[in-house]
Amino acid sequence: MINKQALVVARREFLERVRTKWFAIVTILGPIGMIAAIVIPVYLALQSAEEGFHVQLVDKSGRDIGSQMNIELDARGVKFKMESVASDTSREVLEKRIADEEIDGYLEIPSDVLSGGTVWYRGDNTANPMVTKGLARIVDYAVFRTRGKDLGLGEVAIATLFVGTEFKTEQTTGDGGSASGTASFIVGYAVMFLLYMSIILYATAVLRSVILEKNNRVVEIIVSSIKPMPLMLGKVVGVGCVGLFQLLLWGVMAGLIITFREEVLGLFGLPGAGQFELPALGIGAIAVIIAYFLMGFFFYAALYAAIGAMVNSEQEAQQAQAPVMLLLMIPVLCVQIVAGDPRGGVAELLTMIPFSSPILMPMRYVLGAASVGEILISLAILAVSLIGAIYVAAKVYRVGILSYGKKPSLSEVWRWIRS
Amino acid sequence: MNNSSSSVSVSNVTKKYGDFVAVGDLSFEVKTGSVYGILGPNGAGKTTTLRMINDILMPDSGEIRLLGDLRPGMEAAQRIGYLPEERGLYPKMKVTETLVFFGELRGLGRKQARKQAGLWLERLKIQDWHDNKVQDLSKGMQQKVQFAAALIHDPELLILDEPWSGLDPINAEVLKDIVLAQKDAGKTVLFSTHLMDQAEEICDSVCIMARGKLALEGKLADLKRDAASEGVVQLAFASDEEQKRALATVLASEMVKIRTTSNAMVEVQLQDGHESGELLAELVKERLQLRRFEHRSPSLHEIFVNTVGQLAGTEVAEREESRGART
Repeated sequence: MINKQALVVARREFLERVRTKWFAIVTILGPIGMIAAIVIPVYLALQSAEEGFHVQLVDKSGRDIGSQMNIELDARGVKFKMESVASDTSREVLEKRIADEEIDGYLEIPSDVLSGGTVWYRGDNTANPMVTKGLARIVDYAVFRTRGKDLGLGEVAIATLFVGTEFKTEQTTGDGGSASGTASFIVGYAVMFLLYMSIILYATAVLRSVILEKNNRVVEIIVSSIKPMPLMLGKVVGVGCVGLFQLLLWGVMAGLIITFREEVLGLFGLPGAGQFELPALGIGAIAVIIAYFLMGFFFYAALYAAIGAMVNSEQEAQQAQAPVMLLLMIPVLCVQIVAGDPRGGVAELLTMIPFSSPILMPMRYVLGAASVGEILISLAILAVSLIGAIYVAAKVYRVGILSYGKKPSLSEVWRWIRS
Repeated sequence: MNNSSSSVSVSNVTKKYGDFVAVGDLSFEVKTGSVYGILGPNGAGKTTTLRMINDILMPDSGEIRLLGDLRPGMEAAQRIGYLPEERGLYPKMKVTETLVFFGELRGLGRKQARKQAGLWLERLKIQDWHDNKVQDLSKGMQQKVQFAAALIHDPELLILDEPWSGLDPINAEVLKDIVLAQKDAGKTVLFSTHLMDQAEEICDSVCIMARGKLALEGKLADLKRDAASEGVVQLAFASDEEQKRALATVLASEMVKIRTTSNAMVEVQLQDGHESGELLAELVKERLQLRRFEHRSPSLHEIFVNTVGQLAGTEVAEREESRGART
């Protein structure tokens, strides 16, 4: 009977939300965002490849580093060229050109560049990796070539010297399984991001649902008809399923968009740029991701339900949910720690704590750093915490529900939980 | 005390909020098939009592038994209909869905709930609105939906907390009909109110609460009889002259106190230690020509004011002010 009532509540919460126009709008906005995420980078890449940068070169070394750089740029198929200007062009003039948007920036080669002098780039685009990393390497090559010539090396010798080495990484923990390091991070970040977004979007909806019932005064009939535990369970599951349903719709659309990527790009008159490959994930990894996603989502939803039971208005809820937000932020900030040392003690601890395990454990698992035993223990902790959170929410709800009007103190809430 | 003929049995129930005693050592019984009213001023503990019966609040001590031998809880709730004073609906839900939802919560199957919802909407003449959202209905129609929501699972016991608050005269009449129909069907109705006129029309039995305590309990007819014997007598005389003579003689004695006088009737209150027989004997002795000599039944309102006034007096008013009339 309790399960039946929880289902009745879940069904109501689900239908009421799925039928709103907001659900439809957000569901449609998703794929629009996805299409934008595919089209805009390709479009921008195309734009900058055509225009390139406009960079002027002030070479005080007198060794024509500029033409050496252009040889290197040519060799790499980069379209833009360094434009050499008189070595006595003053900074003021160059800065003025940047201000007037005639150029993006200028490169300053010092007279002692060959003996270790510092090369400066000044421009409005120093955050662009093409500038920070790309230009730096090209300057390096140009300087090396010039030094090579000074040492009396021939063209062939110089070319042989500067053939690059290919460098790749592979994530492994010694058990034979492997995945590309980048792919692991992408998966880890994607799961974290999805979970974070769903919690923000839908766990807070559980909170609003609880508050709404109080404000509608419908609560007294509800409380006399159903025990708080199945009520909270029903709410968390019902609203949760709205989020999962939306994610499912988005997932299907994302699948379609990725599959028909070239056609989508074609619609905007852009060329399809190569094959887009999703990192291959084993069944185990997918199961772990789904398990943590569901449990993590429901765990946070239950915490939000408890907050909803404590407060009487959305304004109060804004303040009261800050601690839960913080609990959610901490694992997000710790992603680098787990990614950087997935087998370290901190990572182990963070993937056991229920507040952070749903966000960090899938990543750690995909990186091959968590054993099945660890997964099971961590999931068990999470499951117990989830039930505990629903229990606490139900307790707080039970007592807090009829006390509208005044905000409870922390000690009162504690008394409610123990009662 | 827990025999099968009582639907609600409250025994020595106490509920405190901190040091404040909302309900103190309360006992009463509601016979199956009767209409029972809990009367009392605001803050008397009526709502607290009904909430304990509905398992929303837990008594600190004492026992509540429902529908035979059930404790307040989910099993009992399936057989109880409850219309709280603070009543609301989900504004964005459609009318039929709302009723089906409440029906299912109270144990009906989906199909059965749909059927019942249809019947109630027809009975309350709002069937044309079944597919509208609750928020599109007038307040009066929303109240009808609330009635239907409380009754959809055909409860054996109907509990109404201040049911007339906020009702227009039409819905007040609808509610009265519902209560009487429940009674005719052998169902029990328990309600609280501070409106004596409505209570007098439909109650079989009442209890009067003041300051969380039971002040008076019994069948309405018995209470009226008891109160009547306390002595308000209505007199009518053959002529104005006779009435004047009576007022100057017998009715001027310390045996009675005049309550009201009109040119057709005198109403007197017998003073302590005097019986109506004595008064009649005196009147006969004076050879006054009587047309009417009658114990008047006091209205429930008078009984209420007397009881509450005696017991609580000004304290009720003081407490109400300080507590803002919640309970």
